[in-house]
Amino acid sequence: MIIGLQIIALLFAFSMVYFAVLHYKRREINGTEITSWLIMWTLAIVVIIFPELLRTFAKTFLVTRVFDLMVIGGFILVISITSVAYIRTKKLEKKLEELVRKEALNKKKK
Amino acid sequence: MKIFIIIPLHNEEKYVGSVLDSLTKYKLPIIVVDDGSTDNSQLSIINFQKRQKDIFLLIHKINLGKGAAMKTGADYAFAHGADAIIFMDSDGQHEAKDLPKFVEALESKKYNVVFGTRNSSYGVPLVRFLGNKFASILMNMMFRIFVTDVLCGFRGLTKNAYEKLRWNSTGYGVETEIVARVGKTGLSHCEVPVGTVYHEKLKGVTILDAFGILGQVITWKFTI
Repeated sequence: MIIGLQIIALLFAFSMVYFAVLHYKRREINGTEITSWLIMWTLAIVVIIFPELLRTFAKTFLVTRVFDLMVIGGFILVISITSVAYIRTKKLEKKLEELVRKEALNKKKK
Repeated sequence: MKIFIIIPLHNEEKYVGSVLDSLTKYKLPIIVVDDGSTDNSQLSIINFQKRQKDIFLLIHKINLGKGAAMKTGADYAFAHGADAIIFMDSDGQHEAKDLPKFVEALESKKYNVVFGTRNSSYGVPLVRFLGNKFASILMNMMFRIFVTDVLCGFRGLTKNAYEKLRWNSTGYGVETEIVARVGKTGLSHCEVPVGTVYHEKLKGVTILDAFGILGQVITWKFTI
């Protein structure tokens, strides 16, 4: 039986699939990226509809409830993505700084 | 000794003209780095250039922050024959009459870095005064260097010092990072008293910036 929380999670997952496809159509992400996102959200949808699939994993990691396992998994994923995004932002900041400074030095006004 | 004055600038059309006016009698080359101003600051400088030689304008197309503007100015100065540089703020907070103290200290060749120290009786707001004291104690504990006014932007560096201190901070953390790097490298330094005028309380380092800098100080302890 599907409960309220599962409906909300499904709506969220489907909207994320929609946004992934939208960004792909706008050519903001490439083929590999859209494939990765689609695989990830499809797995999420399957797990949301059939949470019992994770029961074995929960037992293996000594987690009592499947829901707890999903929350832990979600945290790990969010932290990983945030770290990658942070590093990429720092790299971009550095490149932008170099570009702007270089241009300022080359186009001095006297 | 060839000394350049470097003025990082961001939206200071109100004060930059009078700052430049006050500097003319010292006959030192001036580099103004406009850090993505959206007001008429650039126009004030271009008008000033018509009257005054030895004033150079470098333009950051977007606002990168004070530290980045200082670095651009320093790179330009040392690439054009400077032996030392003096940083001054563009908001009229620093007084040109204090320049000879920096020039004298740099020309004595005893010091690589000259820090300006604002006198608390010259109208430094209490919160800033306490924040500064806390910063001095913290820097002393972490980097074994005591500078009375860690956040004062009025300071001088020799070419040798700049090569060793070249900072990474792009924002207001730059002053603190320079102090940390002086502490780590053991460069000779001194302090000279400077006057200060606060025009606008909302400008400059805010409490939020201060918390950000505090976090950076901890990382510098391990990364510098």
